[in-house]
Amino acid sequence: MATANNGYYNIIGSMDGKPLTALAAVKFLGARASHVIAVGACAVHGGVSAAKPNPAGCVSVASVLQRKVIQLPGCPCHPDWFTGTLAHLLLYGDPELDRRNRPVMFYSQTIHDRCERRSFFDKGIFAKKLGDGACMFKLGCRGPITPIDCPIRKWNGHVNWPVGSSTPCIGCAQFGFPDQMEPFISYDVSKAEE
Amino acid sequence: MNRRDEANRTICEINACINLLYSSPCDETRNNILNYLGCKVYDLYLINNLDGTLLPTAAMTANALPLSNSRQFTKEELSAFNGKNGNPAYVAVNGTVYDVTNNAAWGAATHFGLSAGNDLTAQFNSCHAGQPILEKLPIVGKMI
Ligand code: SF4
Repeated sequence: MATANNGYYNIIGSMDGKPLTALAAVKFLGARASHVIAVGACAVHGGVSAAKPNPAGCVSVASVLQRKVIQLPGCPCHPDWFTGTLAHLLLYGDPELDRRNRPVMFYSQTIHDRCERRSFFDKGIFAKKLGDGACMFKLGCRGPITPIDCPIRKWNGHVNWPVGSSTPCIGCAQFGFPDQMEPFISYDVSKAEE
Repeated sequence: MNRRDEANRTICEINACINLLYSSPCDETRNNILNYLGCKVYDLYLINNLDGTLLPTAAMTANALPLSNSRQFTKEELSAFNGKNGNPAYVAVNGTVYDVTNNAAWGAATHFGLSAGNDLTAQFNSCHAGQPILEKLPIVGKMI
């Protein structure tokens, strides 16, 4: 939510002949909706929009509404996380949430818990560069601090996911992304080859 | 367990997973089993491609105790342990210096925008106060 300059950095349409800011729309609809779901990093905690230096003064949806907001962090949010949450609301009511209001059906286990390269981590065998087939912890993998189900759900119609194509998790589904998940890749951690 | 036994055990597990796959009606369970199969295939790759004698020992894992934990650190000395170029990654909290080199939450010696080699007392207290985290970290010494 852009808040600087009264929200005029993000105009989503017009109402009564005047420009309608996202800020005004969220305040208006958010107060009246039966449920509010924040979809994606920017809505949940500011995400890329709120990255330093944040000229538009972006903040989370929850911080402009005085009510419970179901949080679906991710950059992007997986379609399954959103449709699954919506379907749960329609069919069974409120989904079980964790202490940061994320649905536990998607956000309960870290990437690291179910990563296919986990045995490399446990044995201390680490990739030194992208493309090495081992655990990417020393390159800066954020799988251990990111609770989400990418290893089993995968992306693009369940085809593959970052670690499956040898690139470390960048923690896009964790609060604080992107600033607090940087650096996304580090080549200066392992000892240089002699 | 020797390499051959380990491989055989993994193959048995893979077989059991395949049998399970036939009998699980739900997509979520099937995805979990497929994911587990993926992990087991990596295990086999490891067993097959690494010389057992070269496998890193427990000394490299996150919970291993360091050889000595009585070293005294100045701020400058601590800053050298920033995890770069094969150096260990240490952080100080409340006067104690901890080793986070192989701590999973410290990928590339960084953690939520913080870097190893620093005194992170204030940051720790604002995010993790009251959580049982420090007890699990190996201690390497004290700040002077
Ligand atoms: S690649 Fe990342 S998620 Fe996978 S085992 Fe290594 S640190 Fe954990």
